[in-house]
Amino acid sequence: MRRCLRAIAMLVFLLGILTSMTSGATREITFWVMPNAPQDTHTAWLESRIEEFRKETGITVHYEIVGWGDAWNRLVAAITSGEGADVVQVGTTWNPQLAAMKGLAKLDVAEYGGTGAFMPANYESATYKGAAYGVPWFAETRCLFYNTDHFAEAKVKPPETYAELMEVGEALVKARGAGTAIAIAGNQAWDLLHNWAIILWAFGGNLISPDFKKATFNGPEGAQAMNWYVDLVRTGLASKACAEYNQPNADAAFINGNVSMAFLGPWNVAGIMHDNPSLNYDIVEPPAGPKGRAAFSGGSNLAILAASKKQADAKAWIKYLIRKDTLISYTKDLTHMLPATKEAFADPFFSVGVNRAFKAALEYATAYPPLGVWGSIENDITGEFKAIFTDHVTGQLGPNGVQHHLDIAAQRVDASLKNER
Amino acid sequence: MMWQSGGPSGGKAGALSGWSRRQHQTAYWMISPAVIAMLLVHYIPMLWGFYISLHDVNLFTMADWMHAPFIGLRNFVDGFNPSTTTGARALRALLNITVYSAVTISVGYLIGLAVALLLNQQFWGRTFVRGLILLPYITPDSVAYKIWTFIFQSRIGILNRYLLQWGLAAEPPIWLIGPAALWAVVVASVWKGWPFSALILLAALQKIPQDLYEAARVDGAAAWQQFRWITIPHLQSVTVTLLLMSILWNFNAFNQFYVMLGRDPGVAAEVPSTLILREAFTNLRYGVGSALSIILMLVLLVVTVVYLRVLRATAGAEEV
Repeated sequence: MRRCLRAIAMLVFLLGILTSMTSGATREITFWVMPNAPQDTHTAWLESRIEEFRKETGITVHYEIVGWGDAWNRLVAAITSGEGADVVQVGTTWNPQLAAMKGLAKLDVAEYGGTGAFMPANYESATYKGAAYGVPWFAETRCLFYNTDHFAEAKVKPPETYAELMEVGEALVKARGAGTAIAIAGNQAWDLLHNWAIILWAFGGNLISPDFKKATFNGPEGAQAMNWYVDLVRTGLASKACAEYNQPNADAAFINGNVSMAFLGPWNVAGIMHDNPSLNYDIVEPPAGPKGRAAFSGGSNLAILAASKKQADAKAWIKYLIRKDTLISYTKDLTHMLPATKEAFADPFFSVGVNRAFKAALEYATAYPPLGVWGSIENDITGEFKAIFTDHVTGQLGPNGVQHHLDIAAQRVDASLKNER
Repeated sequence: MMWQSGGPSGGKAGALSGWSRRQHQTAYWMISPAVIAMLLVHYIPMLWGFYISLHDVNLFTMADWMHAPFIGLRNFVDGFNPSTTTGARALRALLNITVYSAVTISVGYLIGLAVALLLNQQFWGRTFVRGLILLPYITPDSVAYKIWTFIFQSRIGILNRYLLQWGLAAEPPIWLIGPAALWAVVVASVWKGWPFSALILLAALQKIPQDLYEAARVDGAAAWQQFRWITIPHLQSVTVTLLLMSILWNFNAFNQFYVMLGRDPGVAAEVPSTLILREAFTNLRYGVGSALSIILMLVLLVVTVVYLRVLRATAGAEEV
């Protein structure tokens, strides 16, 4: 009997140890985030919020800031290997592609407030074939930044239409010299399409047909929109050197005060505050084309890798990040992006000052179609866009050059669309 | 296979074969880490690459790429069909890299040889100059080529500033777009690469016995004749190795194109490595990317074999 009692006591003791070990086991997840803010402020914010989240839930988050340049390859490697991270930040145009790779977990959006909780274009970017594979986190769109000192010097007002932009540009060139009216991204930019798409839409064109079967950007509106963009260089409003710019080069030309206008995003507000706080500037919505105004809805979503074994904890972290107070703090205090949830976006901060234009533009901003082959399509168009610039610079862009390159791009896009499954 | 000839009754021969066997075993043990590392890092990935090139590995199949549909040689056909965009680009990339390699290697070699000949002379500060010339070579590619990007930039580049200042150009030329882009990369690559040639050739020059030159001078040989009949033959073996390495490096050139011209350098400056990167990792056509890689590897293999055979034949003819 005594032996039996001793055995039971021993068993209870061992069970106790095991239970205490289990309850003490840390719940940990890994989070990959892009450099959405300067490193020092970003890490400080992340660490304080991770600590707050740990206190609330007992879940420890290990974060890694992954540069945009490496992020795609890291994500693809994580998907193929099934290892790396649990929660990842993905660009809005990447979300459907990664979902098509079967790399992201399908999410029940009702758990995050339902589809109505998010800016519509941002929510669309998080979907693939009608299902959600991500949760919109923050939004961005590009507006027209202009140098108020230069505008006062040339005695012009910010343009309301693309035609007016040309007129204003000519006045600025007269006042300040050739190539100084506007800076635009050229051949070294990976995001050329973002700048052109808004002009295409404003001119009444579309990138692809509503059934996602055919390219439509090579119609008359497309050629008109492309010619308008190239005309900025052709007519000397933008420097010919813009043909070899990437977007940061164009940003820098405006921030340094070398040019009077540029299409920039909310992240540039932080850049101006950091690099040239004395710059006098203002922001207006993108000008209107013959069919009205148009804007591109970009930003980032949060997704969970399909291979993650910690789906519940990963969901908890996403819910924490999109919570009103957390999201307002992340966008307002840190990144200067715009929250992708309507609740946070309703904060008065986003309706005043430089945010006014972004808020207005986001109301009608459009996202790219959520296709798996979108990356390929974007490359097809961008490749010919660059060829147009190259032909212009080398003097080989004839009167039909723009149409010729757009037609080539359209053929490729049609072929890419056939690969969509 | 000496140890096989020994037997139990071999006596001294048996002892020798045992020693020989141990020696072989030691050698095998010592090279095994390198062999295993090469298998893991080179040969197994190459086999996977070949496997992928025969399968339809793309965006939709890559999550389970081991079970992607087998499509035979279609990726090779797609990758090199001149009527397709990728095929036309691939052929143009091979042409571009051939031109790039031919110019970069020959100019780099000639500059390296000239500098090696100068540094082989006795003068004050020679050791310092030797160290100094290595500076471009030891500068990291990303830094060196980024600096060259700034030099060639149209608006703020120092090159255009001088061209305009000296009246050699009416308006700032665009160097990093179109056909000029290839030549901008050639200039940067020659600058980066010639010190290595100079260093290797200098080492070879210093090994040439001086009494050969003294004997030639006694026989009345002019400087050119000494160079032609003593220096060049003594540099031949080093030159063979140097040129072979340069061909392999230059055909695989990536850093300079990527840093200076970006992911898509344009048709006129496209090279195989940038095309492969874009096809595989941007367009997510891993099968086509692998097929292009394999063809590039085969081209290099053929170039290497032909180069070595021609040299062997030339050396044989000279000996006869």
